[in-house]
Amino acid sequence: MTKGLQMKELTKYYNEGSNRIAALDHVSISVEPGEFVAVVGPSGSGKSTFLSIAGALLKASEGEVKLNGNNISALTAQELADTRLKEIGFIMQSSNLVPYLNVLDQLLIIKRMSGKVKREDKEFAVKLLEKLGLGSKLKSFPEELSGGEKQRTAIARALINDPNIILADEPTASLDTKRAHEVVSLIAQEVNSGQKAAIMVTHDERMLEYCDKVYRMEDGKLSLQQAVKKSNLKEPAGTR
Amino acid sequence: MFLAVKELMHSKMRFLMIVIIFVLLAWLVFILSGLGNGLSTLAASTFKTMKADYVIFEEGSQSSMSKSLLSDQLIPEVQLLPNVIAAAPMGSTMATALKEQSTRNEDKLDIAIIGINPGSFLEPAVVEGEGLSTENPTGVIVNSTMKEEGFAIGDTFQLDGTTQALTIIGFVENQTYNHVASVFTPMAEWRKIAFAAPGSDKGVTGPVNAIMLQGKDIDPDAIDNKLTGTDTVTRSGAVQGMPGYKEENGTIFMMLAFLLAIAAFVLGVFFYVITMQKTNQFGIMKAIGASNKFLSKAIVSQVFVLSLISIVVGILLTYGTAAIMPKGMPFKLETNLVVTYSIILLVISILSSMVSVRKITKIDPLKALGRVE
Repeated sequence: MTKGLQMKELTKYYNEGSNRIAALDHVSISVEPGEFVAVVGPSGSGKSTFLSIAGALLKASEGEVKLNGNNISALTAQELADTRLKEIGFIMQSSNLVPYLNVLDQLLIIKRMSGKVKREDKEFAVKLLEKLGLGSKLKSFPEELSGGEKQRTAIARALINDPNIILADEPTASLDTKRAHEVVSLIAQEVNSGQKAAIMVTHDERMLEYCDKVYRMEDGKLSLQQAVKKSNLKEPAGTR
Repeated sequence: MFLAVKELMHSKMRFLMIVIIFVLLAWLVFILSGLGNGLSTLAASTFKTMKADYVIFEEGSQSSMSKSLLSDQLIPEVQLLPNVIAAAPMGSTMATALKEQSTRNEDKLDIAIIGINPGSFLEPAVVEGEGLSTENPTGVIVNSTMKEEGFAIGDTFQLDGTTQALTIIGFVENQTYNHVASVFTPMAEWRKIAFAAPGSDKGVTGPVNAIMLQGKDIDPDAIDNKLTGTDTVTRSGAVQGMPGYKEENGTIFMMLAFLLAIAAFVLGVFFYVITMQKTNQFGIMKAIGASNKFLSKAIVSQVFVLSLISIVVGILLTYGTAAIMPKGMPFKLETNLVVTYSIILLVISILSSMVSVRKITKIDPLKALGRVE
């Protein structure tokens, strides 16, 4: 069984008036566990469509998507929701936290979606938040958090179910340089230590240094731009 | 439930307003049902509390005491019919009690004179004084509300427009008929009052209005076949046949039905608006893997909690209102009535939240992300 995320010959058409527009044009990509891939490109190039399909939110017109070796193209809506819950960690542009839940509950609600919250789950959530530097904010509501803290909470939320795939959609869009570096390096660490396959869509060229490969999306076509050597990413202490 | 309660705790103000609306609706429903119940008790409590199961009326009397005239000669015959345990005659007539020949307004009181055989199963237990006796035909037992009108045991009152005078020998509770206090007299005295005019008894020997029966599973048709010129109904059928009873209850019932329909609509709209405000939130939760079932449960449990709180507060307010209501107000809350309407309200609010649930299942998580190109 192949791990990670494989997409083969993906094509997605949108109907615009009488024209048929290909938002994705025969896109193929393979992301291995432990690999952090960036997708850059101008607005309207199809990046988000690409990420939505990878994230089981949208179905492709043609082609196939394999998550952990399972083809998700044929799943029902319910099965897709389940896949999103268990296999995919989604980090969004703005953190999109639930406004009336405190930081710890943001994570536990994900656990509740798939059943009961056990004591181990709670301990794991606390540990995860502590690792991400939010140990003192467990009981804070989103309105009391800074942008960086919110985004770190969103990362923790994406990791709570220990997914194999991490998808990040412009995770640094609302952050200053310092916070952006913090957040992306966190993601990179998690990818590395947890052997997860990760795709980050970004405009932010500064963040590419954390990635193993950079793809460029233009007019629905995906091409490998460069393979970056992770020279400046220090192996974090205390993780496995 | 978790999500629902967390949100309630976080936006107390918003939910408080919905609770207030709901409480007011529930309060109104309970008050109205209490009034309706009070009114129908006032109209027929003597009938309703009677230990009788079936009533024999004259044929063609539309189950109404005032239109029915039978002879008490039928009773021995009735007692032999299958399933009949006991039979007793009853008569009713409306009258006005007059305190000491007075002509002042406040000294006149409408009453319903109920003629029964002393000691029969139709005689209610007295709470004060003593029961009816054949030796004392003008001694009567009356509803305790007459106490508030200034009557006491041993008082004698005149019946307006007749030469008859009655003496109160006992009080009974919860005995009203046609919205006025019931006055129980021995059968003989009732006949004097009801058939004072010569010929008004149509020549019937031992005239009575109806014969009340005790006994389970009596077949009304079988009785009507055995007897001639009778129409047998259940006790509740006889209550329905009371003049104005059906109309009165119909009015209250329509008001309640409309109120519940409006409540369903108002609550449904409120829940819908709240859900609409959260479309984006629900979409995001869907994007990170929440199933429709999970979100629907959150909505329904939230509505359930809100409804339960509102209904409980509404019930408390209703009992509070009942406690300070003027005595003469026909208001009567019964536990099973309160429970019934609570359940109806709860079901209505849950059903009205289904519109919101339907909306949620249609949310496209992709749109919520706002990133469709």
